[in-house]
Amino acid sequence: MSLHAPAVVMDNGTGLTKLGFAGNDSPSFVFPTAIATSGGGVSNRRSTMPNYVIGDEAIAKADGSNYALSYPIRHGMIENWDQMERFWESSIFKYLRCEPEDHRFLLTEPPLNAPENREMTAEIMFETFNCAGLYIAVQAVLALAASWTSSKVVGQPLTGTVIDSGDGVTHVIAVAEGYVIGSSIKHIPIAGRDITSFIQGMLRDRGEAETSLRTAERIKQEYCYVSPNIVNEFKRFDQEPDRFKKYVAELANGRSVKVDVGYERFMAPEIFFSPEIATSDYLTPLPEVVDTVVQGSPMDVRKGLYKNIVLSGGSTMFKDFGRRLQRDIKKLVDERIHKSERLTGGKSSGVEVQVISHKRQRNAVWFGGSLLAQTPEFKNYCYTKQDYDEYGPGIVRQFSLFNVN
Amino acid sequence: MATELLEYHNVLLKSLFTEAIIEQQEPVAINQLVSDFDNVTYHISTPEAKSKILVSMYIKSWKDLVKYGAQDIIKREYKDLVTETEQGYDFSLLIDLDKLPNSLEERMKLVADLSLLRRNTMAAPFELAFKKFQAMNKEATQNGLDYYQPSAQDLEIMSIHYRDEESIFIQPNFDRVTVTFGTVFKDETDQVFGKVFLQEFVDARRRAIQNAPQVLYSKQPPLELRELIKKDAGNVGYVTFVLFPAHLTAQRQERCISHIQTFRDYFHYHIKCSKAYVHSRMRFRTDEFLKVLNRAKPENIERERKTASGRRFAAR
Repeated sequence: MSLHAPAVVMDNGTGLTKLGFAGNDSPSFVFPTAIATSGGGVSNRRSTMPNYVIGDEAIAKADGSNYALSYPIRHGMIENWDQMERFWESSIFKYLRCEPEDHRFLLTEPPLNAPENREMTAEIMFETFNCAGLYIAVQAVLALAASWTSSKVVGQPLTGTVIDSGDGVTHVIAVAEGYVIGSSIKHIPIAGRDITSFIQGMLRDRGEAETSLRTAERIKQEYCYVSPNIVNEFKRFDQEPDRFKKYVAELANGRSVKVDVGYERFMAPEIFFSPEIATSDYLTPLPEVVDTVVQGSPMDVRKGLYKNIVLSGGSTMFKDFGRRLQRDIKKLVDERIHKSERLTGGKSSGVEVQVISHKRQRNAVWFGGSLLAQTPEFKNYCYTKQDYDEYGPGIVRQFSLFNVN
Repeated sequence: MATELLEYHNVLLKSLFTEAIIEQQEPVAINQLVSDFDNVTYHISTPEAKSKILVSMYIKSWKDLVKYGAQDIIKREYKDLVTETEQGYDFSLLIDLDKLPNSLEERMKLVADLSLLRRNTMAAPFELAFKKFQAMNKEATQNGLDYYQPSAQDLEIMSIHYRDEESIFIQPNFDRVTVTFGTVFKDETDQVFGKVFLQEFVDARRRAIQNAPQVLYSKQPPLELRELIKKDAGNVGYVTFVLFPAHLTAQRQERCISHIQTFRDYFHYHIKCSKAYVHSRMRFRTDEFLKVLNRAKPENIERERKTASGRRFAAR
């Protein structure tokens, strides 16, 4: 890609959209995937074109009465194409400020996205925007690509298990040679939002002065970490009083309140590993889910999947999250090996379990996209407007896989 | 019209500098490549220290702009912020966060100026044209309008090749300034939409907005440009804005420059908006037709059921 027309990387998620140019190490814009419209509307026969704003502006506008707020993406999939088309339009012209005819685009899609959705996306990108080129990548694969920057990763493997935990839901996805193993995907209904509300609950139980969601979220981001063992951690807290922290919350009226931060520091992220402390609806710990996913994948890739467990998304950013996960999964795997050794009398060569943490976890998907789209080969993998006109939207059902070297 | 004008400033530059200069957030390491309309690329980085932000800009039409005094304008607007040009770019500014102006107003102004980098650079030929117009106009009024003959040098057409196949031409005269955009459409649909839009521009003045600049649209280059445009790229349409003295007063000048610069992007943006709108109507229609089709489906008629071997069910 030439220096002066960098490819555009757009990662539209359920909650947040990340926009930016390839080659950067963080997205230029991160805002909610929300659009607020007023007036017009398609059901109205004599309709006028509606006014609309997107992102943070949309959330702000939605407080007034004139605007209706909507989230065009549900569960990772685009549900409302009219709104999405407008959302992209604003993203490109108002935020990124680029002429789509000059730039190539890398978009992301969730695993198991319907091919029809891809075609719709291509239709919009090519017919409305005439974009120079289009590549649609699976989010999990991009998250794998993002982990190549870690020193622990040897080469550029496209096989691995991706743990993607955002605000609403956590996915565990196995990827073999760049292809998602659809049958073994698992979703866990525990993610960032649950951790925040768990902290909020603990603050309320203690009767703290300030227990807003915002305070809970700040505490989560600043103080929480994963402990190796909660029982020992309780003891350590009792012996070392400086482990208790104080968070200064600023109130709307300008005054500030001190909020004590205690056991929730390690208890909150613990709900990934012992979900029973927060909910009775879902009881399988994350390490067990990861193990099930790998065991549900074809035999010949399992070693690769255990060896390359990649984290992505804001809720995997807790200190020592990767370490604890690695230890717990290792334990499960070793138990299984011992059992089979005992039963067969053979000797196993062992299975390596490795969880990769890296600096770009928060926007791993976007970063992976940026990494791939900045390579000179990227343009060969894109479909151009000419290709699209020649074959029709069906062309985007297949994209060739990326290998940087 | 549904969507308002595009902003003149760059949103990212603005938010970035608002954080750094007005809100005074903790300086962070930055290394961002950002693009803007009309083949502009910015590189924002902190090569020396986190408190020293280097902004470099590349603009495709730099060579043309320099001819018309872009460097002077940059010096005028950004004064001592101008620094050694980073390799691969056209000019660079260095903002030292430790040496900011004290008052909030000055800081606000600094942020506003910085986010208008592209606008200010592109303003050079317009300002020059307006200046020439003022001079000629003055001379003409002094010497009597009827006999005034502007010199050929003053009438020289300035051309800015801001995209591969598209250029802006500016010609000052003593009673007007003409700005012509050559617009190319890569896509046939865009061309149709574009034509409708441009026709509207032409008609708008006739119908409603008397004080708008005159707009002309033709498939052929205007006569005075014939010499400059050697090869015709095909799908080119020429949009000419004729700015009259009313648009060129000192108060209006700045706004006028900002508006006219964004014309092409605004135009293309709206073509795309219209397409999106038509698409949404199409989707709505398809849904309606599907509903009609579903209603037209015959009801399930009770057919006689038989077993696999062909025997019938007998009613008891």
